Amino acid sequence: MSPDFLIALTMLTNFTLVATSRVNKAIQLAVFQGILMGLIPLAMGLGKHTHILLLALVAIAVKGGFIPYLFRRALRQVKIRREVDPYVGYTVSLMLCAAGTGLSLVLAHALPLKAGTTPTFLVPAALATLFTGFLLLVSRRTALTQVVGYLVLENGIYLFGLLLVEEMPVLVETGILLDLFVGVFVMGIVINHIHMTFDSTDTGFLAELKD
Amino acid sequence: MAAAFLPLVPPLNEGRFSTLLGALGSLLAFLAAAHALLGGVPSHLDFHFWQGPARLELDALSAAFLLPLHLVAGLGIIYGADYWPITLSKGFGRSLRFFFGFLVTAMTLLFVTQNGLLFLVAWEIMAISAFFLVNTEHHRPEVRRASWVYLVCTHTGTLAITASVILLAHRLGGFAWSPLPPGAQGSLDVWILVLAVLGFAFKAGLLPLHFWLPAAHASAPSHVSAILSAVMLKTGIYGLLRVSSLLPGVPAWMGGGLLTLGAMSAVYGVWNALAQRDYKRLLAYSSIENLGIITMGVGLGWTGRALGDPWLTALGFGGAIFHVWNHAIFKSLLFFGSGALLHATGTRDMEGLGGLAARMPRTALVLLPGVLAVAALPPFNGFLSEWFLYRGLFASLRGGDAWSSGLALLALVFTGGLAAVAFARFYGVIFLGTPRSEAGAHAHDPSRLMLVPMGILAALTLGIGLLSLPLLPVLDRVVAVVAPGQALARGLPLATLVGRDFRMLLLLEGLLLVFGGLALAWLRPGAQTAEAPPTWDCGYAAPTARMQYTGSSFAEGWSVFLPGLTQRVRSIRALFPRAHSFHTRIQDAVGDGLLAPWLERVAARLFRFHRFQTGYLSVYILYVLVTLLGVFLWLLLRARLSL
Repeated sequence: MSPDFLIALTMLTNFTLVATSRVNKAIQLAVFQGILMGLIPLAMGLGKHTHILLLALVAIAVKGGFIPYLFRRALRQVKIRREVDPYVGYTVSLMLCAAGTGLSLVLAHALPLKAGTTPTFLVPAALATLFTGFLLLVSRRTALTQVVGYLVLENGIYLFGLLLVEEMPVLVETGILLDLFVGVFVMGIVINHIHMTFDSTDTGFLAELKD
Repeated sequence: MAAAFLPLVPPLNEGRFSTLLGALGSLLAFLAAAHALLGGVPSHLDFHFWQGPARLELDALSAAFLLPLHLVAGLGIIYGADYWPITLSKGFGRSLRFFFGFLVTAMTLLFVTQNGLLFLVAWEIMAISAFFLVNTEHHRPEVRRASWVYLVCTHTGTLAITASVILLAHRLGGFAWSPLPPGAQGSLDVWILVLAVLGFAFKAGLLPLHFWLPAAHASAPSHVSAILSAVMLKTGIYGLLRVSSLLPGVPAWMGGGLLTLGAMSAVYGVWNALAQRDYKRLLAYSSIENLGIITMGVGLGWTGRALGDPWLTALGFGGAIFHVWNHAIFKSLLFFGSGALLHATGTRDMEGLGGLAARMPRTALVLLPGVLAVAALPPFNGFLSEWFLYRGLFASLRGGDAWSSGLALLALVFTGGLAAVAFARFYGVIFLGTPRSEAGAHAHDPSRLMLVPMGILAALTLGIGLLSLPLLPVLDRVVAVVAPGQALARGLPLATLVGRDFRMLLLLEGLLLVFGGLALAWLRPGAQTAEAPPTWDCGYAAPTARMQYTGSSFAEGWSVFLPGLTQRVRSIRALFPRAHSFHTRIQDAVGDGLLAPWLERVAARLFRFHRFQTGYLSVYILYVLVTLLGVFLWLLLRARLSL
């Protein structure tokens, strides 16, 4: 598989993510994207470095195995199927996502990057995924879909990191993974607490906590 | 020697064991400091910190500050064991002990470090643990306010100190502190010193930057107030001395400026002390006064350094260091005593007390030397350090900056007189007369654990006052560190010249004591007095406690001169009113009168930014997104424009 194909898949996943209203499906898509993230460095032929191979495997294991497990547990507890009434509607979200992707393509050309062996679409895809993650975080109401947005955001950062993966020490990569894991874990706890306190996972209720 | 490097064990666990351990740690460090001062051989420890060489060194200057620190800390730990028992419900005794140990350790590190970064780290740990100590009774709103004001002030000061330390590192070529050779003047020196004065003045409570101090000292538990006032304020003085000792010279105008600043703080502090009703605030203002006096000594020493006058240098720096010791002793004694009063009566208002000398005879006895020492009366120790300053100021009138030293001389005279009035009021209103309220009527002496530290300090005030001659060579050794390569040029000026003064003074004091004792024995009333009527009885049929002079009436004539100090609130509403009521409120002329209204205006203006805080997480993330996009677009546009 060529890396460009996987990157294109990632960008398509972005569009599907912002357009879906079912929480379950959004989670599945995020997991799928996470697994793609693990495959891309292998497809780029970076598997010859042991530490990158190891990292990719760990990323697949965490993003494709452990995080879905956490999500399934949270879903069982809060019993939510659909994201009703997001701050920004699905059609508008889709259009914003398209605009963001377009902007990323323009931006990627303007960025002063080292011309080299990296696939052409890696930088725009990274930016687009970053943007999608932000969009999900901003426009969605339930805590679960916000976690999905956080995951997508992390995927964007990860893609950007692939540019430097050969120079980047393994410590930084594992740091990002740990960060992700802790983030999801903590958010899982927060979701539970919002649910227990307000009997809903609407993060809008958290506004009551400001001074 | 190495014992001084032993950080004090923070007494965490319950019971007497931790108290014993803490006191033992302080004792070891105290002995090490005393040994360093007497032996005069600096010991050091080298290691690496943040990829740079760092050094802990116990030289005479460090030891001169470690000595009062560990004296007050050790006695404070013993005193605190009974004053604030760990088992007190809602007493937060654990955090109090923890941060007390932390504060002492941080200050120990601060005094021995010879590395700029380590100095800043120790400075921050000290500042933050002091914040938690002041905030011990955080269920009371005024305590919370005092501690927050303190935190903001200390960090503003840290900002200036950090800038100064960075410039100093630039000057010295690294964070390691080693003195520059004399004659290597640089253009940065003035800035380093100005920033250092700005930052350290916050900590030392010099005039316009003192406003955090009274509330913080009044709010803290008394043994904490003692260590804050006796040692922590002096870290500002230590910083000034240490930083200036690294530089090759000090401009003469800075010496005069610091002298004037100190003189102003001294007069302002004592004047406010005179008006206070809260006796712990009174002591805090008296700390401002004494720190002003110490700063005058430092300014005098700087002038002496700039003029190359070893006599002036030795008198200035020697007086400052000596007053640091003396103030540490008598002010911690007074704060311990105020704790005993608070413990026994539960009020900090002087107007509610009175006649405690009959009810708390031991406390009254041990506090008397402290009161006499703070009023700078012979033969107690406060008198001797001010003697240094008088000698120095007269010398400076002839050879130095006549204007600033003339003004400072007047200020010092004035301060001494007002301090005597203020503490006559303090002692008279609290201990003499008859109780003014129920609170004071059933007071009793504190336990022995609290009395013994006070007794030791009281003995020291008199002991140093009478036996100060052996201290003079020690002071010379400290001065040699503060002003490198100058004071030692002509032997030991303090030991020889001031020694002559002290011998004469000692003789006079001895005579005074002997004759005073004889006069007292002769005037002592015999057994013929049948009954002792209550004080202020004056032959009235039904005397009440309200007929006595109050503290406010005692101070009335003095406090009117300072505008903005008292704020009268009258409420008379009818044309021919029957019953009048008015009350006065004492405020700090600079802090509450000028700064607080200004800050409130600024805060009101900044309040409009509050609507950006909506409480919705999504909106916050939107801010991030908008900023990110803005940066990207700016990058794009810049690329376009440059093309």
